[in-house]
Amino acid sequence: MFRFNPQTIKKLRRFREIKRGYFSFLFLVTLLTLLSLGELLVNNRALMVSYEGSLYFPTYSAYHPGTDFGLDYDYEVNYRHLQKKFEAQDDDNWVLMPIVPYSAFENHAPNAVFKPMPPSVEERHFLGTDSTSRDILARLFYGTRIALLFSIVFMIAVYLIGITIGCAMGYFGGLFDLMFQRFIEVWSNIPFLYMIIIVFSVIPATFSIPARIGMLLMVLVLFSWTSMTYYMRTETYKEKSRDYVAAAKVLGASNTRIIFKHILPNVLSTLVTFMPFVVISAITSITALDFLGFGLPPPTPSLGELLKQGTSTLRTAPWIVTSAFGTLVILLTVVTFIGEAVRESFDPKKFTIYR
Amino acid sequence: MKLTHITGLALLLLIAACGGPSDDADQADFAALDNTAEVEAYYAEKPDFFSFKTLADLPTDLTWQNGEHLPEMGSPEAKKGGIEYARLQDFPRTLRTVGPDSNGSFRVWILDDVTISIAHRHQDAFEFFPGLAEAWAVDKPNKTIYVKLDPAATWSDGVPITADDFLFMFFFYQSSYIVAPWYNNWYGTQYTNITKYDDLTFSISIPEAKPDMDARVLELRPVPHHFFKELGDDYVERYQWRFAPTTAAYVVKDEDIRKGRSATLTRLENWWAKDKKHWRYRFNPDRIHLSVIRDTPKVFEAFKRGDIDQFGLNLAEYWYEKLPNDDPDVAAGYIHKSVFYNQRPRPTYGLWINTSRPILENRDVRIGINHASNWDLVIEKFFRGDYNRMQTSSDGYGEFSHPELRSREFSIEKAQDAFASAGFAERGPDGILVNDKGERLSFTLSTGYENLKDVLTILKEEAAKAGLEFRIEVLDGTAGWKKVQEKKHDIHFSAFSVSLEMYPRFWETYHSDNAYDGGAFLEDGSVNPERKLKTQTNNLEALAIHEMDDLINQYRASDDREEMIRLAYTMTEMHHEHASFVPAFYQPFYRLGHWQWIRYPKSFNHKHSRGAGQLFVHWIDTALKEETQKARKDGVSLDPEINIYDQFATP
Repeated sequence: MFRFNPQTIKKLRRFREIKRGYFSFLFLVTLLTLLSLGELLVNNRALMVSYEGSLYFPTYSAYHPGTDFGLDYDYEVNYRHLQKKFEAQDDDNWVLMPIVPYSAFENHAPNAVFKPMPPSVEERHFLGTDSTSRDILARLFYGTRIALLFSIVFMIAVYLIGITIGCAMGYFGGLFDLMFQRFIEVWSNIPFLYMIIIVFSVIPATFSIPARIGMLLMVLVLFSWTSMTYYMRTETYKEKSRDYVAAAKVLGASNTRIIFKHILPNVLSTLVTFMPFVVISAITSITALDFLGFGLPPPTPSLGELLKQGTSTLRTAPWIVTSAFGTLVILLTVVTFIGEAVRESFDPKKFTIYR
Repeated sequence: MKLTHITGLALLLLIAACGGPSDDADQADFAALDNTAEVEAYYAEKPDFFSFKTLADLPTDLTWQNGEHLPEMGSPEAKKGGIEYARLQDFPRTLRTVGPDSNGSFRVWILDDVTISIAHRHQDAFEFFPGLAEAWAVDKPNKTIYVKLDPAATWSDGVPITADDFLFMFFFYQSSYIVAPWYNNWYGTQYTNITKYDDLTFSISIPEAKPDMDARVLELRPVPHHFFKELGDDYVERYQWRFAPTTAAYVVKDEDIRKGRSATLTRLENWWAKDKKHWRYRFNPDRIHLSVIRDTPKVFEAFKRGDIDQFGLNLAEYWYEKLPNDDPDVAAGYIHKSVFYNQRPRPTYGLWINTSRPILENRDVRIGINHASNWDLVIEKFFRGDYNRMQTSSDGYGEFSHPELRSREFSIEKAQDAFASAGFAERGPDGILVNDKGERLSFTLSTGYENLKDVLTILKEEAAKAGLEFRIEVLDGTAGWKKVQEKKHDIHFSAFSVSLEMYPRFWETYHSDNAYDGGAFLEDGSVNPERKLKTQTNNLEALAIHEMDDLINQYRASDDREEMIRLAYTMTEMHHEHASFVPAFYQPFYRLGHWQWIRYPKSFNHKHSRGAGQLFVHWIDTALKEETQKARKDGVSLDPEINIYDQFATP
């Protein structure tokens, strides 16, 4: 069975003791759980419909045409209307809607024209609507989900490439190290933002939106893995010259075994410490790109797009910018707190005799 | 880490972009040059194009006209004086008006809206009134226009304007020095001859006698030969920051150019046309100060502060919410709001369907797309009912626009029927129609208009009801234009801007020559199997109809107004039947907010004007400015003024 070594347990205990970071961590985990169940909380599809004795659960199913529920159209049912209709008819039929009964895409304008509407509990637009009458909470919710998912996948990808190449450079050294370092120097001097703009502008829209987001992610990763290699390379260099590595070598351990069993666990603290900050940078970069109009393809909900809308309607619809800015601040603060706590608890100096 | 710097990087990028051009270009020394000999040799080389005759050769049977019956433009109430403060979106990258980088937002201030051509279209009557000319005569059979220049006309440096400046104009625009292929082509092919009779009399001939052939010639603007004596290979650098002598009332002085920040126009005290009819009540402010403010929201803040005098309120968001009628400055009468309904050809906003694409080549699918595009909802809810639905791709040309044709209405049933006849009858699990081959009814809807991307999301939501999916692609302006020019789009939302012309153009957008290379059709009119899609043309629908080609050729060759109208109707109907264009909307007015010291004539503006400032009929009441500022400071309210000028509104 897998067991943490006492050192790690100590570090984790230390992390729990740093309350600010620990609670931020709990908050983020809760948030991620909520976000992953998003369709049950924020959605224009009903959670449950009871129609003529049978129950329907439309949330994750294929679309139901209006004719399924006795309506006269064959496009997707408007469940909010259906709910009202059933209530008016006073039969046994009923509809259970999520807390926020709007999707992130539909334009819902109770006051006839598409314009920002201030927060209204009555209409269940808890944070109001944006400039084309889309629910801000729904857009924030899914926008945050995409941003977080994006940044986590980004982090994993950057780590995989960074660790592999960095370790290899540090461990094998010599010509391989020399050549790869030059390559990285050249590569990291390519103007990164321009490249993203150029590459993303030639990706045709024939790809589905998830595919386009995936491509954006790939491009970002492609130009961001280099910095990770520097840390990994120096760490590996350092560890490689330690006696235990020499001992392992003498005992006949293979390169793979030495790297994975001996060196990697010892540089873990470096890796873990950087993790939250990589996530932060990914969130900021995707938001910044969206703000500039080069990020996620519309109509994907995104924080940057909301921020942009908000800044141009500062006077007339301050709730847009407040919501988007607030979310961003909370998100970044939480991750930063976690990052600081992790760094502090993994700081080797805490456990040295040189204190 | 590198990534953490992205926001910083983005900021830096913006700051760098704000920097504007560097100062060194105008400091460079250029070798002295005099191209007089070269120009004369050029004239001699092309005797068919450049002819020299004497007054005795001038035909005697010409009917000279000078539009003297036309009512005067502008208002006699106008006062000269004051400084107008306005905004520039970008600092100009050059003071040249042709060549690389010259076609920017600054050019209207030094060329398009201010300089004087031979004659100008009257903005109410559509006929011509004199500019540089004293009189002109149209010789239709010989496709020639004769012009007598006004002897008083001078350049802003005092040099008289003569026929030589028009001869030189052709040399200038035909030369490769200016690095402007469009001009080379236009001035090389659309004119066949210029003949000088004396210093003030000349004639220009054109290849075809169209009903509006006079416009071709009368709207020409001369080029000052004495200033471009140094025209050569280094034109682009040499003239980069030199302000050319102009026929306009406004000049730009060297000391008034603050690179990257502002430029100021100064009115010439002794402008040659200052007492001429149609000109004396226009171009009133002494100086026009243009400062660079990039973002529209910031411009609006500057306007509200009174740093800028006028602000366009065309967007509903600005008209209704950011500057509502109960805004303190509006309610107190300091800022006036005006709406002016105009009449002119409308930009062709709509969905351009690329008929060369696999499923889009089916007419039933295109009809379905027409019925599945809910423009009425966009107009009603997004544009707040202010705009009108466009009916054809050539609205606003008066008699030349089809009077009865109506664009197809949004109807889920009709759209579904049409899709069903194209084989798309079943809905997939996501509600989008599929055919029996399993193909989804899904197209990319692209646009280069970032500010209108919300329109597309509305269309997308509505189209899904009819089982049609739009995949939205929002590009920046240049990338969007490149995409349609390479004909890589499925459906593109865009508009061609149109100028004030008598009749619509069909060749550019609907002739098969602009759709396919290698001949779209064979001799017998059947489709040429070897034809290839032609790129870099304005035929965005890849529209190729054999009968249409014939009609367009007749239309282009015709000099009979009635026949042209008949042809235009037939072609518009044919285009409607083809269903490859979904007409969107047009804005039947322009509207703005202006501080009350900016005064407009009683009728506000002229019928065909495209914007409030275009004709410079407004003036500044400097006394009123002081009064208003004082009243505002003391909190004294005046009468609010929200004016709607709908005398030219069409039902």
